[in-house]
Amino acid sequence: MANFRALQAANKRKTFGLLFFMGLLVWLIAYVAISSFGGTGAGVIPLAVGISLISVWGSYYASDKLVLKMTRAKVIQESDNPKLFNLVNEVCIASGLPMPKVAIVEDPAPNAFATGRDPNHALIAFTTGLLDVMDRDELQGVVAHEMSHVANRDTLVSAIAATTAGIIALISDILMRMLWFGGGKNRDHHGNQMPIFLAIIPLILAPIAATLLKAAISRKREALADATAVSFTRNPAGLRAALEVLARDNTVVQARSSAVAHMYIESPLDASAASRLFATHPPIQERIEILRKMESNPLN
Amino acid sequence: MDASLLIVIAVGLFVIYAVIQYNRLVRLNVQVDEAFAQIEVQLKRRADLIPNLVETVKGYASHEREALENVVQARAASTTASTLPAIAAADGALTNALRGLLAVAEAYPDLKASTNFLQLQEELATTENKVSFSRQFYNETVRTLNTAVKTIPTSFFVGLAKVGAREFYEVDDPAARNAPNVKF
Repeated sequence: MANFRALQAANKRKTFGLLFFMGLLVWLIAYVAISSFGGTGAGVIPLAVGISLISVWGSYYASDKLVLKMTRAKVIQESDNPKLFNLVNEVCIASGLPMPKVAIVEDPAPNAFATGRDPNHALIAFTTGLLDVMDRDELQGVVAHEMSHVANRDTLVSAIAATTAGIIALISDILMRMLWFGGGKNRDHHGNQMPIFLAIIPLILAPIAATLLKAAISRKREALADATAVSFTRNPAGLRAALEVLARDNTVVQARSSAVAHMYIESPLDASAASRLFATHPPIQERIEILRKMESNPLN
Repeated sequence: MDASLLIVIAVGLFVIYAVIQYNRLVRLNVQVDEAFAQIEVQLKRRADLIPNLVETVKGYASHEREALENVVQARAASTTASTLPAIAAADGALTNALRGLLAVAEAYPDLKASTNFLQLQEELATTENKVSFSRQFYNETVRTLNTAVKTIPTSFFVGLAKVGAREFYEVDDPAARNAPNVKF
């Protein structure tokens, strides 16, 4: 199972399965809305879909510019760091992707991220801390991991996950308010509807389930990016060494926020603060182990 | 009346299907050409770096004649190769000659510390990587094309598209054979 092609295929299947469950959740919450609130419940759905679509897809289209602002990354030219551009160029040749924009974040904590709505608008960023501590092979592994996010269109996948999670959260939220401020009246007029107290349970649980699914999708995409990176460089040792450097490091990114946490190669948030289920990244030791298996057993 | 309409729809659908398959084969074939052009670009880049490297090494290790000669000869051979197997063979020979020269250079601390050599080192490292990644990408595109040429349904349209299986770019590289890296 240490073969990167098998890993890639398995990861894609799992992402698809998780997105499918997200879709089911939307149907469930829509069903609850209609069956317990009737016409008003049905009216909430297009409202929630509209708000969620506008907010998430707006940020999706402006992702490169927005993320630059939020992370204080600065786009650099080739003359600013020829070696980094060489490394990015190498991975572009290996993957057949166009050259992305390259940015630097002035931060001592080693980390990196990729964004942009498609490979032609891609941007990959590295912290100065990362560039300072890593050697050529390690950096190549990190560059390949970030370019894998571009190749696998992870900005799109996370935008879809965020949109559906947003729809679920909004519908639940609006319905909960309706319940508080007059859902009871509604029930008096339509005797055939689902009792309100039965509707409360899915309204509370669905947003939590959506958040968990969103985190699970993010973890799968991280694992997929590791496997894809190896398919580009054919050098699992480089990425493994890079992850070991990240695992040893205890500093955290200064301009951090949970809104951009899923984009980084290593979670920029405090490990202790996030529980395993809500984590956007698989445990780094697990990722190192998988890469080790690829190194020792490349053809299985 | 109904039957003839069905036949027209069926023929129409088949034509659309055939066009899709035809275009896929042609596109894959063009991708192989592009990938090969990328190899040639990177080989040219490397060939252009070598005179500078040879001059730099000569300045500190002029009596390492054999290693220097190997590189110069391999470079000359690589510029005249024209068929794919010949280009691949010359490419592999030059990779080995360069590796030999750099191994020799290890014994000369003055050379390794010279600014010229330090500048060349990053250039050589990235060029060697670019050459090897462009080979790898070319072979990926050939693998995709050859699979399409040999598997149904695309294989039915091979004659129509005038596209056939292509040659892999195989470099005889002893280091690559022993390396733990994945090679298919």
